[in-house]
Amino acid sequence: MKRPHTILLIEDDPWFAEQQLRTLAEAGFSAKHASDGLAGIEMLDDELPDALVLDIFLPGPNALVLLHEIQSYSDLAKLPIIICSGSASDVPLKSLAPYGVVSVLDKETMQPGELVGAVRKALL
Amino acid sequence: MKGSGLDVGSNADFRGEELPFVLAAAHELKSPLALIRQLSLGLEQGTADTDTQCRMLRQIILTSERGLRLTSDLTRTTRLEDSLFELEPVNSRQLCEEVAHELTPLYEARGRELRVVAGRRQLLAVANKDLLRRILINFSDNALHYADTNAPVLIQASTLRGGETVKLGVRDYGPAVPSDVWQRVKRHLGKAPVSLQSRPASSGLGLYISGQFAEAMHGSIGATRHRDGASFYVELLASKQLKLL
Repeated sequence: MKRPHTILLIEDDPWFAEQQLRTLAEAGFSAKHASDGLAGIEMLDDELPDALVLDIFLPGPNALVLLHEIQSYSDLAKLPIIICSGSASDVPLKSLAPYGVVSVLDKETMQPGELVGAVRKALL
Repeated sequence: MKGSGLDVGSNADFRGEELPFVLAAAHELKSPLALIRQLSLGLEQGTADTDTQCRMLRQIILTSERGLRLTSDLTRTTRLEDSLFELEPVNSRQLCEEVAHELTPLYEARGRELRVVAGRRQLLAVANKDLLRRILINFSDNALHYADTNAPVLIQASTLRGGETVKLGVRDYGPAVPSDVWQRVKRHLGKAPVSLQSRPASSGLGLYISGQFAEAMHGSIGATRHRDGASFYVELLASKQLKLL
């Protein structure tokens, strides 16, 4: 049986994270969660996920710091990243694409299915 | 992030700077509304089991209440100039207990603990009970988002200056706020909303409102940065009433 894809979610709001984890699990993914930037970096090392869903504003290092960090690791440099944030309108995908960001989701307008759709697209 | 090829826009709230009041209010209300929407969409899908549905409903209720508290505070801020808030001797320790009792369901739902630390002495502050309660709720709500899961948030009550001043504060344990951001926060504390870059859910609006409320009671708010978190506090004149008895 094929191993499910592992998705790492870095999100500081525990209830938002709970929702996203449930949505990803229902879609058949193995979803892991880190609630701040430092824990996220550790889990990236430990889990080597297939894709990353990343909030922008986090306790400790924010998403932009993490994007730079990820780029500096050879084994993570090609990790597809989905930004999911309430400030999505302030982060144009064009400027983030060189950092491995393949989609930007807006927490204010996204539908539950959009997260799964973005993850599937990222894994193609 | 200027100079690195990445720029997340021109809004000051990304850089720990002063925010216009309306922008800060919008920022603070956005998070609970976005969460309520996501939880509602999740319920609408109908895929969650009964226990999960109950949990989601509870989260919607608690998140709504948090948003409503903010709107009530905003309303009160506009009424401060009308001097509609009378001052009276307020039993600080009892008030701390009431705040802890009120917020316990929210804390428990987040797997956190809120505890009161106060001596046995009766601490009477010259205050408006409603405004003081809202200051403590603001501090406690702020702490909820940054406290370590394993560490309780503490509501502390004490006296200063030989009993002339009552100090009520909320101590949280979590990531330290970077020094440069902290300096900006201290400089603007209570004067204008200032974002805490390392405390992402906060635009600093709650602290600004708390500062306004404290001022209306002839008091002031302050903050202490710890290596493992922060304390936010309000200082008020102690009531002489007990001494007269």
